[in-house]
Amino acid sequence: MRSVLFASILGLVGAALLHIVIVLVLPQFTGRDAYTRVLGLLEMDSFFSLTSTPGPTGLSNVDPYLRTAVCSFSIADGPARFLASGSVPFWSLAVFDSSSNEVFSMNDHTAVNGRLDLVVATPIQLVELRKAPPEALAQSIMVEMKEEDGYAVLRAMAPLDSFEDQVRNFLAESSCEPFRR
Amino acid sequence: MFRIPLLAALALAIAFGGGIASAVWALKATVGFGAISIGPWVAFPEAQTDKADPYAKAHRARAGELLYGGAEGLMFMAQVDDKGDKLSAACSYDVTGLTPQARFWTLYAANADGVPLRPGSDLPWAINSWTVLRAEDSSFSIHVSPNAKPDNWVALRHSGTFRLILTLLDTPTAGSSGLIDLAMPKVVKTGCGDA
Repeated sequence: MRSVLFASILGLVGAALLHIVIVLVLPQFTGRDAYTRVLGLLEMDSFFSLTSTPGPTGLSNVDPYLRTAVCSFSIADGPARFLASGSVPFWSLAVFDSSSNEVFSMNDHTAVNGRLDLVVATPIQLVELRKAPPEALAQSIMVEMKEEDGYAVLRAMAPLDSFEDQVRNFLAESSCEPFRR
Repeated sequence: MFRIPLLAALALAIAFGGGIASAVWALKATVGFGAISIGPWVAFPEAQTDKADPYAKAHRARAGELLYGGAEGLMFMAQVDDKGDKLSAACSYDVTGLTPQARFWTLYAANADGVPLRPGSDLPWAINSWTVLRAEDSSFSIHVSPNAKPDNWVALRHSGTFRLILTLLDTPTAGSSGLIDLAMPKVVKTGCGDA
């Protein structure tokens, strides 16, 4: 009887350990985290507008009044630059790394002249950009990202149906490209 | 003769069964620690950051949602009304009051997985700060109901429980720690069935 109790207690200790291991290791193995889903759209280096019904990767415009576009990028070979402009009531951008941690986020009020012009670079690339700032990036916001891969989410608001076209154009004309001097 | 193998099997069964079941349960039950709750409304302002706890990180990796960044907005979720009863799609609720300061907000009903309920294009199923009708003091009262209502109506056509999702966009709320003083709208049940 005693040995059964001992085995049960040992089992519970094992269960606690396994619980901790599963919770800590799970983020690397789910295969359906946001970064994997964005990569699954197979659209590197451009914003992909989501639909209101979940697409093949399960991403969709969840909020009824927000239209979303996503872009996966890599800054291993050079900085990435995000551009968008247009008149929508509200837009916001968030940059995440490959483990879906927020790197940077902004909205139209925190942007220069309400235009999106953002450069994401590694610390070393950023030092070089600062040493000899290119003319084209005079107005850009520079953001440092330690990881090389990530994704960006651009949201624009259509509070009424009549904004639909404006918002669609805004997202379609936005760009997410590697920056080359 | 088989005592030792049996005991080992028992210990292993408890370890694996209990470990996996408790981890799955914990990730389904909650989004993680660090929640702020104001009345029935719950939000996780740090769930998308590196500071999120391991449960929040595991949960967001399983859910695979595109979370809001700090400067974008903050999503509040209510699964219960002000009395603590679960929201039922057979009942009518009034969402009244004011939201914390924000440039925009949107309100819609969603199922238990957070997927919006779309009752059909002919029914109003979501409302935002531009379309809501307000009282003189700029407060609002939104009727969330399966029956047609005057003024602000969010239609329900669903069975079982649902949740309300109120997203504040460009709000100082997301970055502040003094959230407890903020006032969120009340969620009050006004009746069930066709009454």
